[in-house]
Amino acid sequence: MLKVSDINVFYGKVQALFDVSMEVGENEIVSVIGANGAGKTTLMKSIIGINKTQTGGIEFNGKNITNQKPHISIYDGIVYVPEGREVFPEMSVEINLEMGAFSKKYSSAQMQEHKEEVYQLFPRLKERAKQKAGTLSGGEQQMLAIGRGMMSDPALILFDEPSLGLAPVIVDEMFDAIVEINKLKNTPVIIVEQNAFMAMSISNRTYVLENGKISHSGLSSELLESPEIKKAYLGG
Amino acid sequence: MSFAMIMQLIISGIALGFIYSMVSIEYTLIFNSTGLLNFSHDKLIMLGAYAFAGQFVLRMGCGYVVATIATVLSMFITGILIAKGIFNPLRNMASPIFAVIGTVIMGRIIKELCRIIWGATAFNIPGFMKGTFKFGSIVITRANTYIIIVAVLLVIALQLYFNHTKSGKAMHCVQQNKTAATLMGINVSQNINITIGISAVVCSIIGILVISLFSVSLTMTNMIGIKGFAAGVIGGFGYFPGCIVGGVLIGILENLSTLVIPSIYKDCVAFVLMIVFLLVQPKGILGHKK
Repeated sequence: MLKVSDINVFYGKVQALFDVSMEVGENEIVSVIGANGAGKTTLMKSIIGINKTQTGGIEFNGKNITNQKPHISIYDGIVYVPEGREVFPEMSVEINLEMGAFSKKYSSAQMQEHKEEVYQLFPRLKERAKQKAGTLSGGEQQMLAIGRGMMSDPALILFDEPSLGLAPVIVDEMFDAIVEINKLKNTPVIIVEQNAFMAMSISNRTYVLENGKISHSGLSSELLESPEIKKAYLGG
Repeated sequence: MSFAMIMQLIISGIALGFIYSMVSIEYTLIFNSTGLLNFSHDKLIMLGAYAFAGQFVLRMGCGYVVATIATVLSMFITGILIAKGIFNPLRNMASPIFAVIGTVIMGRIIKELCRIIWGATAFNIPGFMKGTFKFGSIVITRANTYIIIVAVLLVIALQLYFNHTKSGKAMHCVQQNKTAATLMGINVSQNINITIGISAVVCSIIGILVISLFSVSLTMTNMIGIKGFAAGVIGGFGYFPGCIVGGVLIGILENLSTLVIPSIYKDCVAFVLMIVFLLVQPKGILGHKK
């Protein structure tokens, strides 16, 4: 459903992505792994339209979305849960969730239904519903960011470093939630991670980015066994 | 010193205070949404006054209601043009100084345009908002009554707009996190255009209200422009309730000060107060942290 073909992306004169191609099919979880600065976030931002691609094209469900303005992408059903969570700090958890549905015209009953869905996934958010998002812990903010992404019933959801800066217990919880989102709603997921083992163990397929180029790609189960990947990303 | 006289000073202080509050609200809108100060805000108030008095009432002979509507509409469009011409192109530059200089220059342009179009001599609308209301022994001018009523209605309208409409809520998002707002599907540039349009509308309303207090001239808004800034600092910068508290406090203290000091010094009150607050309580009375 998502098809990225040979995109080249630059920051000023510095090239960040070189002929990167990737594909995401229905109901799939795809992970993109790589070291710091390999271009993972750049790739996500190019899909959503925050970064402009110089050459190459991006297609979503048959529609050409190359260099589309980022605020339009969400109306096509692509949701990006950004690195560093980016919640609205001065708004309550509940209002943050409601803003996640900005692109939709929900009745108040539908809105309630969607909020309940998120609360079911993350009961902690329900306890904190009236609290300002800026006062939440890092893990709770990440839950909120994911929940906010869910509010608009996305057709494709992009997670950027959901485990960044979180305690190991919470990281497990976060990945469980991502798998559940994918199972419950059959939403295809792209997950970008430095925590390569976790990302590969929940995903169907994996792309490995190295210095802006795709160095390996294939089934996650196979890549997990590959000696090269093991050595570079899985600690032996 | 009779009770009625003190009451009268307080009430006209409140009215003037609401003017400062509205000035403070008008630039806070832009500050919150773009992170930039609009240094031409007092010129926009002046433009509103010139458009209403000079153009629509005196030249075209419109009634007050028609002239008000025409002024508000044309100022909204002016605001959007300013946003498209200055704020949006310049806000992402390497330094905010570009946009700041842009607004300063725009203020000069507006002032000179007013001089060219409506002339350099001050004028007034004969009989506009003149007269008094009497409550027992207290006499309140018609202008002060209108200012208080309009200011209260305006604040309520803005609150309703921000808390109960979709584009109002979107403005909160843009204030707090522009990246996240974009990811929610909010068109940040367009949202900023509308915010600045609304700010220009508030400016035009202030402009119309102060015609009866000062005559229409090129320097009419110099003082309220700076005192509106002081109101924001004293009440709590970037925070609406702070704007209102700061403005009203300045208005009342300024008027009461004439009881103890010569009235030519009353303009100092706002600035002395502002300096004291900057030294002692920089977050302002309501101490809102940003």
